[in-house]
Amino acid sequence: MIRLAFHNLFQNKIRFIISVGGVALAMTLILSLDAVFTGVERQITAYIDNSGADIFVSQKSVRNMHMTTSSMSRSVITDVEEIPGIEKVTPILYLTNMVVSGKERNLAYIIGLPENAPMGGPWKLFEGRSYPRTGETIIDRNIAQKSKIGIGDDVEILGRKFKVVGLSEETTNLVNSVAFISISDFIKLWGNSNSISYLLIKINPEKSSSDIAAQIEANVKNVTAQVTADFSSQERRVVKDMSTEVITMMNFIGFLIGLAVMALTVYTSTLAHRSEYGVLKALGAHNKHLYQTVISYSLLSVLIGLALGIMITFLLSIILTYLRLNLTLAISGVSLLKVSSASLVIAAISAILPIKQIAGLDPAMVFRGK
Amino acid sequence: MTSSTLRVSHVTKRYGKGITEINAVRDVSLSVAPGEIVLIMGPSGSGKTTLLSMLGAILKPTEGEIRLNGDVISAFAEDHLPEIRLRQFGFIFQDFNLLSALTILENVAIVAELAGMKRNFARKKGIDLLNGLGLGERLYFHPRKLSGGEKQRVAIARALINDPALILADEPTANLDSKIGHEIMKLLRNIAKEQNRSVIIVSHDQRIKDIADRILWLEDGQFKEMMSMAIDPICGMSVEREKAPATLEHEGATYYFCAKGCRDEFADNLKKNGVVGSMIF
Ligand SMILES: Nc1ncnc2c1ncn2[C@@H]1O[C@H](COP(=O)(O)OP(=O)(O)OP(=O)(O)O)[C@@H](O)[C@H]1O
Ligand SMILES: [Mg+2]
Repeated sequence: MIRLAFHNLFQNKIRFIISVGGVALAMTLILSLDAVFTGVERQITAYIDNSGADIFVSQKSVRNMHMTTSSMSRSVITDVEEIPGIEKVTPILYLTNMVVSGKERNLAYIIGLPENAPMGGPWKLFEGRSYPRTGETIIDRNIAQKSKIGIGDDVEILGRKFKVVGLSEETTNLVNSVAFISISDFIKLWGNSNSISYLLIKINPEKSSSDIAAQIEANVKNVTAQVTADFSSQERRVVKDMSTEVITMMNFIGFLIGLAVMALTVYTSTLAHRSEYGVLKALGAHNKHLYQTVISYSLLSVLIGLALGIMITFLLSIILTYLRLNLTLAISGVSLLKVSSASLVIAAISAILPIKQIAGLDPAMVFRGK
Repeated sequence: MTSSTLRVSHVTKRYGKGITEINAVRDVSLSVAPGEIVLIMGPSGSGKTTLLSMLGAILKPTEGEIRLNGDVISAFAEDHLPEIRLRQFGFIFQDFNLLSALTILENVAIVAELAGMKRNFARKKGIDLLNGLGLGERLYFHPRKLSGGEKQRVAIARALINDPALILADEPTANLDSKIGHEIMKLLRNIAKEQNRSVIIVSHDQRIKDIADRILWLEDGQFKEMMSMAIDPICGMSVEREKAPATLEHEGATYYFCAKGCRDEFADNLKKNGVVGSMIF
């Protein structure tokens, strides 16, 4: 019976292409949209995840970077350094502003880095130097490409000219990029020498970072200390909050498209084979045998469509990395699970109407020439 | 070897209700012995297909009883009937009714698989049957690539694969040319005789009369005495002897005609070339 479904499926090539293609399209829609946002989530936490820090210390109650400011007194640095188990402390200054080159204006996290900072600098360099001295900056490679500038060219940050000395990779996302300048330049431009934004902390690998984070909060006033993973997940939440509704809506649309296409093709296929199901009934097939065929038919097409959809999305994600757009697709396990279950639901619903059709077939019709 | 008896007693089938009610079969009784080949003939609309469907447990009689080996199959619950059809009956149809998506071997084997046979055995049995029917070279063909005669042989293989007690065929030669049709029916007869299976054939086809052990005439939903029926030698219609609108005596034989026109044509032929009729049965 399953073999019959298989043969019925491949017998009509056009119907096969429509049903499988429709499901593939719908699943690609769901998957790639998920992947876009997963990609954005990953990109948006790229700076935090690649900072090299075990713990992030920020102004009290500030729990992430995106669309926030954090400001602490410089005295916090020495307070934190006194806590046992801490090996390195790197203060950074941070705000969101523009990297301007001619008419090109690109939003960026501007990071003020101390000289020889062991953490918080660019982690993957395409070209040039990885630390900025006075009057110098390291900007993202894609932004440079977009603005048609390179090493040695000037850009404007916070109203002042900086010379590009390095191009970093993996430092763009859908919304902004990261640009690094020296902390002394940052202070000058900002006009506040007693303030820092975050402390990046490296601890003794024998120690537990959550213990030390708790110790920091207990011993230093007016700060919040989070292990990097927590800080990063706080940052991700910002994206999630923005994207959940869009994703839910698009998922639903994708689901409906898949369902409509499948329900229609399974139905027409069953109609097309109606008389054959009647013959099988007359010969002695039980309804349950015929239901099996219909369910296998819809399951098979949905699964092939799903596999195709996953393949297309993977292919898209590979193509996108080659295109070097600000967009990356990251396919998550959760999202795979989601489309798989959506497919199963689609297969099940698509089979309902045809099954009703078959149940109502009168085997006596075989003798009546259909 | 299977040997079963089918007994039909006082079976009636009515379609519809009230003014649209049709008595398709009226109070028919019939008994088919193991290995017997029965041909049911009769005019269009006389209830042949209706009767055959009831014999094959596809349709329930309105009244009366059908017994197979003593079991009253006409009283079985609806969801018990597929099982009976699957194991006790083999069906052969006018338009073959093969599944277009399957190869002919799969068409045959699938029916055995439905009856619970393992795929390998079902295929093996299917191959043997198809070989025996001269289709060994066509096992992996799809039905659309076969001639009508080949398709009907596939249908015979399919009807035989579950070793049914009875084979039921509705107009099995209607879509075949006369020579092939006759050959196929002879083939079916030989198999049935060898394996002691009963066969009930419904047909208009006068040319297959010689393969039957017994011929029944159904008219208006009732069996009529076959002896009282004669075939018009010109148009091939059957006519009741007593009510024939025209008759003709020639060299000691009596010919019956459906109308005077047929008799005149017959007489003309006789005059012209001394041949009896234009059709020979
Ligand atoms: N499902 C049905 N509903 C109502 N009437 C029916 C139905 N099936 C058959 N009939 C009627 O019952 C009568 C007998 O039909 P049946 O098909 O048994 O005749 P038949 O002898 O097989 O005819 P033919 O030689 O043309 O195939 C006809 O008058 C037909 O119109
Ligand atoms: Mg009929």
